Amino acid sequence: MSRRIKSLQLRLTIELAALFLLASGLAVGGLVYSAWLTAGSVADRELGLRAEDLAHHVLLDQAGMPRLELSPSLRRAYDAAAEQSVFAIRDKGGRLVQASAPEFGEMVGRWPAADTEPSYFQLSGFGPSGRDYSGISVQLDSKAGALSVVVAQVAGGDQLVHSILREFVFDIAWYVPPFVAVALLLATYSVRRSLRPLRKASAQAGNIGPESISIRLPDADVPTEALPLVVAVNRALDRLEQGFAIQRRFTANAAHELRTPLTIITARLDSLEGNSKLDALREEVARMNRLVEQLLCVARLDSVVLDVASRVDLHEVAEEVVGSMAHLAVAAGRSIALTGADHPVVITGNAAAIGDALRNLVENALAHTPADTEVIVDVGPGGTLTVLDSGPGIPAQDRPRIFDRFWRGKGVRTEGAGLGLAIVMEIVRAHGATISASERVPCGARFELRFRPA
Amino acid sequence: MRLLIIEDEARLSEILRSKLGDAGFTVDTAGSAADAKAALELINYDAAILDLGLPDGDGLTVLATVRRLGKTLPILILTARDAVEDRVAGLNAGADDYLTKPFAMTELIARIKALLRRPGGVLGITLDAGNVRLDTVGRELAIAGRPVRVSRRELAILEQMMRRFGRIVPKAVLEEKLYGIDEEPDSNTIPVHVHHLRRQLQTANANLAIHTIRGVGYILTEDKG
Repeated sequence: MSRRIKSLQLRLTIELAALFLLASGLAVGGLVYSAWLTAGSVADRELGLRAEDLAHHVLLDQAGMPRLELSPSLRRAYDAAAEQSVFAIRDKGGRLVQASAPEFGEMVGRWPAADTEPSYFQLSGFGPSGRDYSGISVQLDSKAGALSVVVAQVAGGDQLVHSILREFVFDIAWYVPPFVAVALLLATYSVRRSLRPLRKASAQAGNIGPESISIRLPDADVPTEALPLVVAVNRALDRLEQGFAIQRRFTANAAHELRTPLTIITARLDSLEGNSKLDALREEVARMNRLVEQLLCVARLDSVVLDVASRVDLHEVAEEVVGSMAHLAVAAGRSIALTGADHPVVITGNAAAIGDALRNLVENALAHTPADTEVIVDVGPGGTLTVLDSGPGIPAQDRPRIFDRFWRGKGVRTEGAGLGLAIVMEIVRAHGATISASERVPCGARFELRFRPA
Repeated sequence: MRLLIIEDEARLSEILRSKLGDAGFTVDTAGSAADAKAALELINYDAAILDLGLPDGDGLTVLATVRRLGKTLPILILTARDAVEDRVAGLNAGADDYLTKPFAMTELIARIKALLRRPGGVLGITLDAGNVRLDTVGRELAIAGRPVRVSRRELAILEQMMRRFGRIVPKAVLEEKLYGIDEEPDSNTIPVHVHHLRRQLQTANANLAIHTIRGVGYILTEDKG
């Protein structure tokens, strides 16, 4: 197998199946073998007994010659099985006393005299029917003195062994395949069941991301063998979370620390008498101020879980944002208006965060809308906030990416750092709200925040 | 007009002193909470600018001490802390306005002037914006030095806008200031008054402009055109 099997379950199943097959093969083989042995020794013993039985019936006749005197029942039995069972008896001098068949007696007559220790032999293709025989040759004492007794039995007629094997195969070996199947099923089930907590853990791990770093893998019911892995992963996550926290705190602190020097630069610049170069410098500093502010906002959104359970009046939020940004619009030669519902539109969320999101959208709109046009903030009675401008709009191919951090449109005046919409997106996500960017007719961009009703 | 700047960052404190001095204020500075408390107890300042992060304690304790002494001078918090909770805490502790660093000097000056223009504030009696001067006690309006007569309600609207110069004046605030509880303002009366006022300012060559922020209110700015 060139490719290693990765599935624990499959591997266990295959290995267990192999083991079961091997073990049951060995067991069956062993049983058959020992049955053979048993059957063989039973047959040998029977031959020995028959030889003794025959020797027992040899007497001396009036002439002093040994003679076989079988009881009528025995004689009948031997006559009936003349083909199955053959024998020959010789006296001490090697003279044939009696043979069941003359040709057997003739053949045995050529053999050396038997020993008191029985010797076993096989005959193949003997007799008129050419059958295989197994037999015993032994020297036994009788009333007529020592005799060589040779008894043979047709090998194929070994009914006992056959019946033992048949019984074994039909009564016992039949159980092996179902047993293997049940054992495999049980093993599979138990592996599945003990892996279930691991599957749960991996589902949980799938949810871990930069926004949800505090999730930990559940270690309840995890098999002890896998527990160290789960524990180690959780510890690694602890360290990662710490790292993230440090990173975020660093961003927040850095942005915070930048504020004072920026304030000083801004103030110093303000106090210088202006020329065009100075104005350019002021613009740059203003941009930097804005960037620091947005970085702080992002760091704050990253580091604390937003409480979005308060009642928020979208109309009030929009009024506050439009009011606080009106002077910026006027100073930039643009206008801003609040339209739509003039009554409270209540949703569940975080007013400050929604205000931040709206402020970022309005800021973008003010940056893109041409001079002497109006940016409109519309409050929908169904829980929407829409910001409309009269600028160039958003190219359709850019729409999926505008909410990424630090993304900026190509060929667009690089005013911001590209954080504004990412901030909006974070806030939208925290609220379970949706945002859509589309084309405004006849021209301009349209951003709609749709909140879940309270 | 005498201001106290409570700020531990010496360079910033120095720039503030210089800029506010240029804007016509007399400025003292304090670098710690203890100095600030001592100065505020001794001298009746017209307004104070307060940084929250001081070396010997939180600026909010200064605020609390001052208010406990019964001083009502307007206090503007100037801080790098910009979380909403910080703003709310500052305003609840008795601050009158809240500005976060970094800020534009012009905005700081405008906000301090707005605080001083409040009724009862040092600048609250005579309001100045551009070439327009309004005597809030004598109810007299002068544009470019010449007296101008406008109706009582238009004067009231102008006064509200001059007190919040450069910042939004919600329509609701104007309605509240112009009409008694019994009078139900017609939804159209304020725009009509503003329209008249705008024309009169134009006729008298005032260098101010009233901008309408649809759905919210009005904003009075200097007219650059």
